Amino acid sequence: MNENDSLRQLLIDFFELPVATSREDLTQKTVAEWDSLAMVQLIAELQSTYKVQFGVDEIEHLGSYGEIRAALLRKEVPL
Amino acid sequence: MIPGLEALLRRSPESVRSAVSEAVQAATWMKVRRALAAWKNCPPEQQGPETTIHLLSSFNLETIEPALQLGLRCIPCRPKLLLAPLDTIEQQILDPTSVVYRERNLATVILWRAEELMPDLFFPLSTKSEDRGKRSHEISARIKNLVEAYLENGASPLLVGTLPLPPASGGIILDSQLGNGLAATIAEVNAAIHRLGATGTRVRVLDVHRWAAGEGSVLHDLQMDFLARQPFTTRAAISFAFFLARNMRPLLVPRRKVLAVDLDNTLWGGIVGEDGQRQLKLGRDFPGSVFLRIQKEILELKRQGVLLVLASKNEESEARQAMTELPEMALRWEDFVCRKVNFNAKYLNLREAASELGLGLDSFALLDDSDYEREQVRQFNPEVAILNEQDDALQMLESLLRTDVFDAHHISDEDSKRHREYELRSVRTAQPQEKMEDFLLSLELRAKVEPVGRDNIERVVQMLGKTNQFNVTTRRHSLEEVSRIASLPGSICLALRLIDKFGDQGIVGALLAAPDPADKSITVDSFLVSCRALGRGVEDVLWAELATRAASSRLRRINAEYISSAKNGVVAPLFDRFGLEVVGETIAGKKYRLDPVKPIDSPVWITVERISL
Repeated sequence: MNENDSLRQLLIDFFELPVATSREDLTQKTVAEWDSLAMVQLIAELQSTYKVQFGVDEIEHLGSYGEIRAALLRKEVPL
Repeated sequence: MIPGLEALLRRSPESVRSAVSEAVQAATWMKVRRALAAWKNCPPEQQGPETTIHLLSSFNLETIEPALQLGLRCIPCRPKLLLAPLDTIEQQILDPTSVVYRERNLATVILWRAEELMPDLFFPLSTKSEDRGKRSHEISARIKNLVEAYLENGASPLLVGTLPLPPASGGIILDSQLGNGLAATIAEVNAAIHRLGATGTRVRVLDVHRWAAGEGSVLHDLQMDFLARQPFTTRAAISFAFFLARNMRPLLVPRRKVLAVDLDNTLWGGIVGEDGQRQLKLGRDFPGSVFLRIQKEILELKRQGVLLVLASKNEESEARQAMTELPEMALRWEDFVCRKVNFNAKYLNLREAASELGLGLDSFALLDDSDYEREQVRQFNPEVAILNEQDDALQMLESLLRTDVFDAHHISDEDSKRHREYELRSVRTAQPQEKMEDFLLSLELRAKVEPVGRDNIERVVQMLGKTNQFNVTTRRHSLEEVSRIASLPGSICLALRLIDKFGDQGIVGALLAAPDPADKSITVDSFLVSCRALGRGVEDVLWAELATRAASSRLRRINAEYISSAKNGVVAPLFDRFGLEVVGETIAGKKYRLDPVKPIDSPVWITVERISL
């Protein structure tokens, strides 16, 4: 997996995190700004960037880099 | 698409324009935040006043707050948005001690939707018909009660949102047939809200229904609605934010008081001085219909209290006659509080009009088809709001329909009397002439001077037939006659094509001079410039070319003549300005000569290219 992948970069940009933030640190638990309000905007941003629509079940499991990546890969988004 | 975005960006500080434009176009939250950061980095004096706005809503605004901030920032102002907890509209408004009344604010805004106000009507057949029938009265009464409480306790304007039609409702065909279904009830409640706005109090209607009809419904996001109880896509949130900001703007920014308009190709299609009154396009058929609609929109602005100024390069008598006699005119000569119909520079005319009306140029807006005139006004009178960006009539109409510079929530009695008041105030005060050279240089003018010949003779003949104003002899030569003069040995017959930074303006000037070999002189037969090219120095280039070519042919004298007509007063002093000697004068005109003949330089602001055919 490429450390400089676009999803990691999007999350870093979105939450205005240090550029060196690792994928493992990109979770709702570790990023203070990742609250429910930010989550709503993040979903809109992800759907707009990757041209996908998350289903109701998926929306509940987008709480980390890994979960988002898995959801995008299921939708065959090349990452 | 945000209506009037271009104009809004033009008046924003340069440092924010691209960020705001990107945010609107890309419609992502990150771009919105970047645009907000750009605004916050501007010098404070460019950011506008600090402004507190209370927002009460039956749906969630928290998730779209950055967009709301951005829209309001572009007014410009530094907004402090106080969002009431979700669904507490009635608690907040009915409680005289609520936060809405404690903090001084610019306005309080109430936004609501049918989803929360009348959720039962989404399932009309699950509700008894008589109960449905009562809903619009009940809700309208609740709203009226709230408004009355606000007027009693609050000091600032209250913006009451109308209800958009819910995009997510089923059975729409059947519902439309019910006299008391969802659609009918929303229409009745909205009508009640509009009536509250017409009471002349501090209540203003925020017509969310109209906004949603335009684009809100298309941009509804069912996922977001269920997830966060906010119905907008990011794009819709941005659009809504600018809609809200436009409704707030009249509370912060005074409207423009004056609309200055051009005449030819703005209020009618064609040029009255060249095409003649009968050829002007105005009426019910396309394209005259576009100009008629422009006139009707302008007349409506007058009725809203906007003062109209006519600013046109024309003979006044001719313009006035056309305005009086054309049967389809919606605007009349008397509708203009001030008329500047002459051949002076437009920016000077606008300054004069401002001085006569006792208003600043920052009260003025301009509608004018000419790229040149708009650019001149933009440079010399930067305070004037220029409404249109292009010369196309439809584009001008759209810019009139979309502009926010005349926005107002109410028209006062004073507004409607303003026209008469200013008409009486109008006093002529001439403004000093300003140096034009820098402006003309900025136009990157190029003149291509070519001999009259096969490629341009038809245009020259057409100009001889049409040009009335800048035409020293008004001789209407046929193609054969022009051809004859041009083929005389030693004649100097020139056509001038003008190119500026806006593009190729075509052939806009011509000069025909016939030789008299007996005394080594040459006589100007015709000399004309199209009125759309006046003020650029085209005539100076043609004259310099004639003198220089005559000098190099060792001619001793140039003879010229001004023959007065009803329309060519503008060129009466031309040969005097060029330094010719008057050798004869009658009521019909003057005869001149230049003796000896020396080369003359063209104006420095025009690059001259000599083309040989």
